[in-house]
Amino acid sequence: MFGISTWRALRNRGVLGINQRNCDLVLKYNDRHLYPLVDDKLLTKERAMASGIRVPELYGVVSTEQGISELGQLLSAHSDFVIKPAQGAGGDGVLVVNDRFEGMYRASGGKLLSLEDLEFHISSMLSGVYSLGGHRDRALIEYRVKPDPVFSAISFEGVPDIRVIVLRGYPVLAMLRLPTRQSNGKANLHQGAIGVGVDIATGQTLGGTWHNMKIQRHPDTANPVSGVQLPNWNEFLQLSSVCYELTGLGYLGVDLVLDETLGPMILELNARPGLNIQIANDVGLMSRVKQVEHHLASTRLPYGGETPMQRVRWSQAAFFKE
Amino acid sequence: MRSVRLHATLLALVLLALGLTSVFWQVFVRDIPLLESETDPVWIIDTRLEFDSKKNNPVKVQMFVPPNGDFVTLNESFVSNNYGVNVHKSGENRQVTWSTRRADGHQVLYYRLVLTRRFSIADQAAPPGPQFRQSAPLLGAEGLAAEALLAPIRDQSADIETFISETIRRVNDIKDDNVRVLLRGDYSVASRAGVVDLLLAAAHIPAEQVHTVRLGLQQSQEPELWLRSYNGKNWLYFNPADGVQGLPEDRLVWWSGDKPLVKIDGGRHLQVGFSVSKNEMSAIQLAQSVQPLQDRSFWTLSLYDLPLEAQHTFRIIVMIPLGVLLILLLRNLIGLETLGTFTPVLVALAFRETDLIWGIILFTVITALGLSLRSYLEQLRLQMLPRLSVVLTFVVILITVISVLTHKLGLERGVSVALFPMVILTMVIERLSIVWEERGGGHSMKVAFGTLVAATLAHLIMSPSELIYIFFTFPGILLVLVSIMLLMGHYRGYRLMELIRFKAMTKETPEK
Repeated sequence: MFGISTWRALRNRGVLGINQRNCDLVLKYNDRHLYPLVDDKLLTKERAMASGIRVPELYGVVSTEQGISELGQLLSAHSDFVIKPAQGAGGDGVLVVNDRFEGMYRASGGKLLSLEDLEFHISSMLSGVYSLGGHRDRALIEYRVKPDPVFSAISFEGVPDIRVIVLRGYPVLAMLRLPTRQSNGKANLHQGAIGVGVDIATGQTLGGTWHNMKIQRHPDTANPVSGVQLPNWNEFLQLSSVCYELTGLGYLGVDLVLDETLGPMILELNARPGLNIQIANDVGLMSRVKQVEHHLASTRLPYGGETPMQRVRWSQAAFFKE
Repeated sequence: MRSVRLHATLLALVLLALGLTSVFWQVFVRDIPLLESETDPVWIIDTRLEFDSKKNNPVKVQMFVPPNGDFVTLNESFVSNNYGVNVHKSGENRQVTWSTRRADGHQVLYYRLVLTRRFSIADQAAPPGPQFRQSAPLLGAEGLAAEALLAPIRDQSADIETFISETIRRVNDIKDDNVRVLLRGDYSVASRAGVVDLLLAAAHIPAEQVHTVRLGLQQSQEPELWLRSYNGKNWLYFNPADGVQGLPEDRLVWWSGDKPLVKIDGGRHLQVGFSVSKNEMSAIQLAQSVQPLQDRSFWTLSLYDLPLEAQHTFRIIVMIPLGVLLILLLRNLIGLETLGTFTPVLVALAFRETDLIWGIILFTVITALGLSLRSYLEQLRLQMLPRLSVVLTFVVILITVISVLTHKLGLERGVSVALFPMVILTMVIERLSIVWEERGGGHSMKVAFGTLVAATLAHLIMSPSELIYIFFTFPGILLVLVSIMLLMGHYRGYRLMELIRFKAMTKETPEK
């Protein structure tokens, strides 16, 4: 039967389903009380800055309706910026302004917005339209990342980002997320971005996934997505590995970006990252989780566990692909 | 993690066992019917006594009434005018005494008994009787005749049972001279029973007469005479007219012994009539009226003890966990996407009032109109709360308009829309429009469709009256649901939709 054979094949490859993710990873490794740290992007950012981890610079925070009236003044110093809800999920509500034009703001995608448009957007953000529980939220205004030109051939507008899944500090899977015409410059897979697997050991891109299919070329630029070497790969892995100490969450999705001048920086963290990264890498997440758990259980680890650098090195050796 | 899972599994099993035990206990011990439609016969036996009395004469009437036997007495009433009534025990029998100081002319007394066989306590057997009796020896011609009859009976019988039936057979052979001698020219059943009793007494076999009433649909009847004897374990019943052994199911033992049914002092022209009629009564109603009589109502039908209005509410409430379980299965096993977790259950509850098809149409219409209003309001740039309030009011107006319109058109069904949960509809509209903006129309259609499917299924599973009856009567089944939910809490298998989602990973990567 179709279902049973698929089931077996997926189990054999160690593919993680949502039920198993919730049981075996989220509930097991992530303490509920640590969630606010990653759900609130402002908290994450403050925590990261305190530990000296590089994040996009924070221009300002709007937390009240009164604060909206000072928006124009706040934005006057910057010609490009990003507005995002502090507790948004999955990239919803993020507004990227690339440029100014005749007193208007040009959003990514080319649409021109007035200051009132921005104010309304922030107002609905504050009332909790984009936040997880629908409760009141704050709006962050921060530095707009300028993507490194290495991605220009395989990306359509927007900022590609790199998602690394970290299990107890060990990077286990990585994926490059490329915006497409359909995703409106956003790098979230459910909005139509493509995910491209990245070899943990080398930082080379592998095959990709788009709408749960496997793909080899970018749908907009038609360039092959595989074989691209990501610069500063070790730095990416180091940054994501440190997030374990930063948050205490054992199962974590770290979203990073590569700025053309500032290099790798952390964008946000996710306590229950999605599962499409498995399709992008064509690797079951559970099989790698097992390897890490085995490593943690068997070897005589130094007191307090391995350092981020040791962990990255172990992951690169363990997940090396021929 | 493993110990936690074991803990949850054990808890689930304990709850499952508890729930099933309570249900089985109710079904098998308390004999509560599994179906609401189940009915049981209820017998109504009216005994009518008529007699004449002299002017201002004291009257005392004594009549046997049935003891508590295999049947459960639902109601027993003595109807009389100006008579004192007293029920007391007399040997194995119960007897009622009507008495009055002054009776005048034609008197009628009624005794009404309402019986059922269900819920009788089976182990309440009749008390044991004697197994031996002394008897004075018979003399003269009767003694000879009795001996002559008994000799072949002794030869042809093995035990008390066969002895009695052989005796009855022989006594019923009226051509036999010995029998004729003993009957002394009286060939009635009562006389034959007397001879059988005489013969059995001579053989030291205890036997007594029992008078039974047939629970059949006949307007009038006489009590039927049977003989019974205790063989050490049970009572054996014999029909003295034909020797048939075993009391049929439809016989009710009224009294035992050879005394007449009614004894009257101060009255004449006594007439006694039995009339039996049968009613079908729903078994659950029967249970409700029987349990308190037997002083064991506690926990047996707990929800039925509530006031009727509360019962009606609970008939809905006890079904909610079933709907929730269904949503849980749809989401975690199948992977169906719905708006919110339990929104479909609430929508399903609304379908109760509107009917399924109407409910779906109304839901679709109101949501669609609400969505278009929401997208218009989007341009006005309102804050969330004012916007939600406007949408909710709009929903209320829509509901009102639909109700009035359908009423004018003569479709009474449309009025039921008033009970549609407006707040839920408003939230559905709001969330759907956000999903629309964020994930596109296709996705929001998918989610809305998923919600509607889930709500429809939840409604279908929550509305069959058989299921409602079972959940309401056997609340222990809720524990069974909890145990399934607990087990689902550690379900780690793939969802059905994930098999499709990850299907690409089962194929080998194509060569570049």
